[in-house]
Amino acid sequence: MTVTSNAEPARRRRLALLSGERWATPITVLGLVAVVQIASMIAPPYIMPSPLTILETLYGVLTTETLDVVATLVRLLIALACSLVIGTLLGVIMAMVSPVRPYLRALIVIDTGIPAVSWILVAVFWFKNPEHRIFFILLVILVPFYALNILDGIRAMPKDWVEMYESFRPSRWQVFRYLIYPHIVPYILMTTKSVFGYATRMIIFAELIGAAVGAGARMGMAQATFHMDAVLAWTVLLVAFTLVAQYSVELLERRMLKWRPEAELR
Amino acid sequence: MLTDKPIIKIQNVSCKFGDFLAVDDLSFEVRPSEIVALVGKTGAGKSTVLNLVMGSLRPTQGQVQVEGFDPASSSPELRGKIGVSFQNDRLLPWRTAIENVEIGMQILKVPPDKSAQQAADWLGRVKMETARDKYPHELSGGMRQRVSLARALVIDPAILLLDESFSQLDPVTSVELRKDVAALVRSVRKTCLFITHRIEDAIEMADRILVLAPPARIALELALDDQARRNPGSLREQIEKVMQ
Ligand SMILES: Nc1ncnc2c1ncn2[C@@H]1O[C@H](COP(=O)(O)OP(=O)(O)OP(=O)(O)O)[C@@H](O)[C@H]1O
Ligand SMILES: [Mg+2]
Repeated sequence: MTVTSNAEPARRRRLALLSGERWATPITVLGLVAVVQIASMIAPPYIMPSPLTILETLYGVLTTETLDVVATLVRLLIALACSLVIGTLLGVIMAMVSPVRPYLRALIVIDTGIPAVSWILVAVFWFKNPEHRIFFILLVILVPFYALNILDGIRAMPKDWVEMYESFRPSRWQVFRYLIYPHIVPYILMTTKSVFGYATRMIIFAELIGAAVGAGARMGMAQATFHMDAVLAWTVLLVAFTLVAQYSVELLERRMLKWRPEAELR
Repeated sequence: MLTDKPIIKIQNVSCKFGDFLAVDDLSFEVRPSEIVALVGKTGAGKSTVLNLVMGSLRPTQGQVQVEGFDPASSSPELRGKIGVSFQNDRLLPWRTAIENVEIGMQILKVPPDKSAQQAADWLGRVKMETARDKYPHELSGGMRQRVSLARALVIDPAILLLDESFSQLDPVTSVELRKDVAALVRSVRKTCLFITHRIEDAIEMADRILVLAPPARIALELALDDQARRNPGSLREQIEKVMQ
């Protein structure tokens, strides 16, 4: 009896938390729409168009500028995937090959100190092909996040597990495949979640300066021709994409980390 | 039955953690099929000795040999030869109970169907068949300890190293688990170096008892035969006296 009465409030609290989480985003979005609606009634359309206008423009963007939308998404996903692989590999190498660790680490930390704008400006000179430019920019910006988080993740692995695993005398490949890899999956997912928004912002920025096709290029054009509705339509699209991506990673996380007791608390 | 060639050989071994001397000039041998108990107060260096034998720790001085090889080197000769049950369970949280039991067999490249079958078999022998598909966080401490015991025994190692941790468990579970472990060790009849906090268990199970005092010095060595076992009270007294 005492046990159930102790467990009940915790359960209820968790349910409340979950329902709060489920409704928080839609409620916030509705609130923002309301604010835009009110602002559009006060300000002229070139400063703040109404939500309906933005929605119409968004429809136009999706139907007539599909190539730009697709280009940005594909660039983003490819760059993210490559950064994930390269960054994770670098992290693993740093953790498993101790002589190179300090040098690689120093290099990566220096990289994180270089402002994104520097990379963008430099990439314009270094690469003619806009695809290469954007890929390069995203890579140098995203790889360090993965590399450093994975390194920290591996170092946080309990020494006990390593001792236990090594008592069976595995090969180095087995240590990686069956001990390190499963242990760093949560770190890879966590890093992906936390860089998504950042990566989206960066690609728009990079496209604004370094490409003729893509969301960033379109937004630059819209701004130059005073099409506030188009700027906002693109913005809405990108935010929606980030939300969907975030949600997808969370679903993946829940599936892949079902062994983790705290995974369901999220 | 016992041949003279030792399977575990520790010669003048010292081990330091920084400035702290944990093992000081320790020497002893274990012959094939011999069951040796290590007893001693907490902090005496029992787990450290086990770490030296399994090779997770290198001696600062002296030599450790298992079947003539240095266990701390990555030599493949000792693959599958040593089974260790640690003081804490060390189950990998992303693996279910049965998958944890299969860790060693996966490393030794036992075919999956054979491995699954043997793991299930050993889960049964440690009375954990119901835990088969549960993750470690869904198991109790005692259940986890049993699974980790199966993980050590399933590879059928020539040498068994057991560091008991049953003291964290409630008395009833702990006694039950100790009994099961004793039965298992006797039934597999392997070379076994085991750490226990229960002097009765050492007397009952071991062919020889080494009483360690810090820093892992042999304070007393007792060879047990059936005659000696007939008077466990006096053995116990002797051991307790040096453990003070
Ligand atoms: N990695 C380490 N670093 C520093 N000191 C250590 C380390 N491992 C063990 N020690 C020290 O060595 C001594 C022996 O430790 P050990 O774990 O072998 O004791 P034990 O006999 O197994 O004790 P218990 O019965 O409590 O398990 C202790 O004083 C401990 O503080
Ligand atoms: Mg110990």
